[in-house]
Formats: sequence, structure tokens, C-alpha cells
Amino acid sequence: MALFLYLHFPALQLDHLQLSDQSSNLPVALVDQQHQLLQINAAAINAGLKLKMGLASAAALCPDLQLLPYQPEQQAKVLHSVTQQLYQLSSDIALDNPAGLILRLDGMLQLYGGLEPYWQALSAKLTALTYRYQYSCGATPYAAKCLAYQQAGLITADNRLFNNALNSSPLSATELIPAMQQQMIRLGIHTLGQLQALPPAELARRFDSQLLSYLGRLRGDYYHALEYLQPEPGFSRYLELLYDISDSTVLVKPLAKLLQQLEQQLSRASCHCYQLLLSLFFRDNPPLKLSIGSAQGEYKAEAWLALCQLQLESLPLPEPVYGLQLDVNHFAGQQHATAALFNQHQARMSALQLISLLQARLGQAAVSGLTLQDQHLPEKASKRSPPLTKGAIGQPVLALRPAFLLATPQPLTEAVTINQGPERLCPDGWQLSAQRDYYIGRNQQGQWLWLYRTVSQQWFIHGWFS
Amino acid sequence: MSALLDQLARRQLVWHGDSQQLAYQAVSSGYQELDQQLGGGLPATGLIDIQTEAGIGELRLLLPYLQQQQQQSQRLLVFIGPPAELSADMLAGSGLELSQVLIITPGEQPAFGQGLDKLSKLTTAAKNPKSVKKLSPQQQALWAAEQCLQSGCCASVLLWPAAISLAHARRLQLAAEQGAASLIVFRHSSQTLSLPVNLSISLQPDPQGLQLTVLKRKGSWPAASFLVSMHQQWPALCLTGTAEPLRQAG
Repeated sequence: MALFLYLHFPALQLDHLQLSDQSSNLPVALVDQQHQLLQINAAAINAGLKLKMGLASAAALCPDLQLLPYQPEQQAKVLHSVTQQLYQLSSDIALDNPAGLILRLDGMLQLYGGLEPYWQALSAKLTALTYRYQYSCGATPYAAKCLAYQQAGLITADNRLFNNALNSSPLSATELIPAMQQQMIRLGIHTLGQLQALPPAELARRFDSQLLSYLGRLRGDYYHALEYLQPEPGFSRYLELLYDISDSTVLVKPLAKLLQQLEQQLSRASCHCYQLLLSLFFRDNPPLKLSIGSAQGEYKAEAWLALCQLQLESLPLPEPVYGLQLDVNHFAGQQHATAALFNQHQARMSALQLISLLQARLGQAAVSGLTLQDQHLPEKASKRSPPLTKGAIGQPVLALRPAFLLATPQPLTEAVTINQGPERLCPDGWQLSAQRDYYIGRNQQGQWLWLYRTVSQQWFIHGWFS
Repeated sequence: MSALLDQLARRQLVWHGDSQQLAYQAVSSGYQELDQQLGGGLPATGLIDIQTEAGIGELRLLLPYLQQQQQQSQRLLVFIGPPAELSADMLAGSGLELSQVLIITPGEQPAFGQGLDKLSKLTTAAKNPKSVKKLSPQQQALWAAEQCLQSGCCASVLLWPAAISLAHARRLQLAAEQGAASLIVFRHSSQTLSLPVNLSISLQPDPQGLQLTVLKRKGSWPAASFLVSMHQQWPALCLTGTAEPLRQAG
């Protein structure tokens, strides 16, 4: 027998907003286009407000009520992220917009060894999410939904209990449209039990097919197709800030929350990532996109936060930020570095971690490696490369070269003692006019200079031996 | 009487001048005269202060030491703020592993590689630039040095600072000890501020190599200056005395 669990989140958008700011005790409510209260927080309930109340009576009851618009697309995002997090515990989850989830349980019971341990794990997770929820099991998705709306809280596989509860359910908990509910009530039918007791053939004659199809699915006579969720490959979360933040160092707090979620997802998948894309949203300017990289790959929120902090510290914000978006496109499997057992000094971080740290603060270009090129011209023989790049092996090395080369050679203006030379170097293509004769010289201060003489007998300093 | 002396010595209240013990682990410098004078070589960890003019052979003096430091521990060698472009030929020729060399040039670029033009456009419109802490290249260099030393994955860090204060030096010394790394600071000899270092030497040019004075050494007293000959290692960079001076007008 199939078994379903329905989770209903009565105030998902509001709870999500309150997550980022638990300190305020103001009554908050979400209103829809028709000016009806759709979601209210605990402070508002205490003030005597009720759902579906009009704005006028709400304002009369509670003058300092804070109103926010209900945004279905915002709520859908939150619901989706809840689904992603529950997916780690339960495999078959279908979204039921705008505020519900249908979980198919019969496959999971085998894994958890019964309904009790399964619910324990799931409810622990739900409590950690801190959204208010109502739940119930049922033999079909609609049955579970109907019971969850009444806050039945049935965690059982007992069909008798389900039937009893369903038979006494009011019609307002069903999926029937309000007009039809009204029609039923006029006929004296107040509960589902009464409706189900009527012969289907009679119902089919008097009502449209919608009712029969609903009842059929409720009883399990008709097949109810559910679209189960497939997990996303990457990570993408958006966080709307409660108030605009104009100081980039304050952004660290809300960012930590996003990184924590990333860490959870990464550690569950036993992965790490090399790059984060952080977008800061402004009201007037286009969003600012930052990419934060770690050469070694990290999964810990702490490590990522340190890297983000370094970038944010030196970041000027053109105007206050109202939203943050964190994207990770690619997860990579974790590889653990092996350290020597008898090493005396335990390094605090690896070379790659050090490089990402330095690059985060100083910029990509300020940190580089050095490779030897197969070139005879001194200015081309050394090349700045990305850090820790291995150059070609077996490159011939000219040892008698100055340690320091000037980027642009400077004219020689002092007396020098020539000690060695010349060494004639000619640029590619044997441009004889550009050939240079190199000498090693020592000036009065005892500095060893690397000089060259051009064809036109001009002397330049190209570097110095250090 | 001798029992009393014994006791004093055990409680480290008297100090023997003849039994100098090295306060640090020494790594051979590759130059015999220097090893002899320094009682084994240059310190493997901690600060080494070198007061020198540029280009008289200060790096050459250190190359064998750096090569050993790098090879022994298989860790990084970091150059922070070198005065000009480093030559790969020279470093590779002295036996350094180039893939384990890191060059940090602070102040090369603003802190963002990506979206640079967009950012600068945004910054000009910024109304609150004071909320941003911008480090000067000098501060960046010191910060980078401290991070490298602390990380424990660098064998030696070479730093060319514009100026270094006592507080900075103390911080760097602590970081170096924590990460078991050595920091070599190249300063102009005009900066006479004494720093809390393991070894402080002053270099003067000499036709045969370098004239070296030990200004300060942990667990020892200063000695007379002596010559470090580079004839063996760098014959091309020593005067033989016969070369003709060449005059060149600017």
C-alpha cells in the first residue's frame, strides 16, 4: 500500500523573512492583492489578528502592524530550497505549490526501519529549518493534504484512522472550489464522510467531472501522477536583506548564512568547490559580480568566509546592497592531501591555500610564479606565470645572468670597470641593427651591473647582479 | 667554592664566555669564512636582517642557503617586493626549484582581477569611499610576509621593505617562529634601527667579494668585520685587478 506524507507550510515567505532577523518583535503580516492577510507572525497572532482578515479590521486591532506584499515567486524559491534540503532524507518529494510538499514514504520505510525513526529524522530536520509546518500521513496525496490542512498530525500507516479522520473532515479542507463547497453546504453536506456516502453515479449526474476526479484520487481509485523532484547539480541561493547594507564589512554576516548552507550541501555530497560567484544587488546600479576562488578547493564555510572577507574589505560599494546571491556552478570531489607522518612542523595551511589567501587580498596579478623560457633574450627568458607552475624540464640554464632585470633599460651615466664581455645577443630574425653587446661591469659603489652597448655605441644598464 | 659556582651555573646565573651555544639551528651558508664566523651558518628560522646596498652581491651570498632551505623542507621560497624583475636563469642556475618560488609584488593592481573596469566605474560614483580600508603597498608587503611565515608552507621569505618598525619586526619574528620559516629583510645601511632578530649583518662591497660585519647575533657578541671571498663561486664577479676602467659620459 502506498503511503504519503503531506507537509504544509502556512507562512513560508514570512518565516523566511524573519529568519534573517529574529530580534524584532513587531507584528508582521503579508497581504495579497485583495488586501487580505495571508501570512502572519506570532506577534500578530498575539495581537488578535486572523488569516483572511481585511486590512481595515487588522489595522484597527493592531495599529503598528507591518505589512509586506505576498510574493508567490519568492515563496516558490523558498519552497524549492526546503525541498532541496529535505531531499537528503527522503527520496521522492513532489512540490505542491504554493506551500506544500508531498513525500512518498513507502520506499523510505525500508531504509529507516519503520515510520517512527523516519519521522524522527525528518522532524529534526524540519525543526532545524525553523519554518512553521503542519503535517499528516495519508493513503493518497489528497487524503494526506486534506488531513494536513486540519493539522491532524497523523504519523501512522493505519487505514482505519485515516478513514475516520477523513470522514469527519470539513469540506473547507478539500481541494473543491469554493463555489462547489457552497453548493454542498446548501445541500446539507458538511463533511467528506457525507459526500463519500453518496453513490458516485448520482454525483456524476448532478455535478461536473471535477468532483468525481477529486474523490477518485482521494480514495485512490484514480491514479494521481506526481512529478518528483530531481536534485540540482550546483548551488544557487538568493538572500534578500532585511535592510539595505552600505558597509561592505557588514555584508559578512548574511553571507555567512549562505556559506553555511553551501557547506551543508557540499559536505553531504562529500565535495568541495573551487570558485564562488557572489552577486551584490543594488537598487540603481547593475549587480556587482565577484568571483572568489580557492586554489585548493574548500567546503568549509569558515574558510570561504575568510576569503570573502578579504575581498569585501577592500571593496567600495557604490550604493547600499539589498540582496545577495551565491552561485556555485561546479562541485568537485574531495581529495585529501597526505602529510608525512614524521614531519616536524605541521603546516597550518597548504601552499595552495596560502596562494588563494594572498590572491584574495592582493589581487590575482600580485601573486605569481616564475618559469624559465627557452629564449636567448634575457627579457624573454624569465616569465611570470601562475603560481606553482612547473616549467619545461631540462631547460638549459645560463647561470651568469643578473638576478634583477630592469623592465626598461636605463642609460649608463657613471664610470664603470668592465670585468667581462662582450656577449653578443641579437633579437629574432637576426636584426643586426638591434643587436646588443653585453658586458659585466662594476661601478664606483661596488655594484655589479649588466650593461649593453647598442650598434650606435650607446650604453645601457639592463640589470644588476645581486 | 666550586660547589657554589656549580650551583650558580646550573641556575643559569653565570654565563660562560667560552661555551657559546647557538641560539638557533644553523644552516650552512655555502661560504666557509661565513660558516666559521657564524658558528655553523645562517639561522634556519627567524629573522635575518641584512643591511646592504643593492647589487653588491647580497643575494649571491644567500643563494646556497636558500637552496638548502628549499630542498630540505620542500617548501616555498617567497620573494616579496623585489626591486626589479627576477631572472629565472639566475635562480635556476643556482639550483633553486623554480616551481616552488613565489613572487609577490604588492600594489601591482587593485584587489580585483575580474570586472575591473566595471568596478572602477562604480567606485567613481561611490558616495561613501571612507568605508573602505585600502592598504598601501608597504602594508600589503608586510601583511603578505606575515601570512607566508605563519602558514608553515614557506621555507624562506625574502622581503625588500621601504621601512620596517620595531613592532612589525617583532610580529614577523613571532610569525617566523610559528611557521618554522626564515625571513630575510634587505635594508639600506642608513636605517640603523636595531631590530629583534636572530642575526643582523651589514655588507660592504669588496673587489674580491663582500666585506661582512656581524652587527648582532643571538647568543653571541659582535666580531670584527671579515671578507667573504666569492672567487670560487663567482669568479666572473670578482675583480682581478687588471681590468681597465671604462669611462662613459652620460
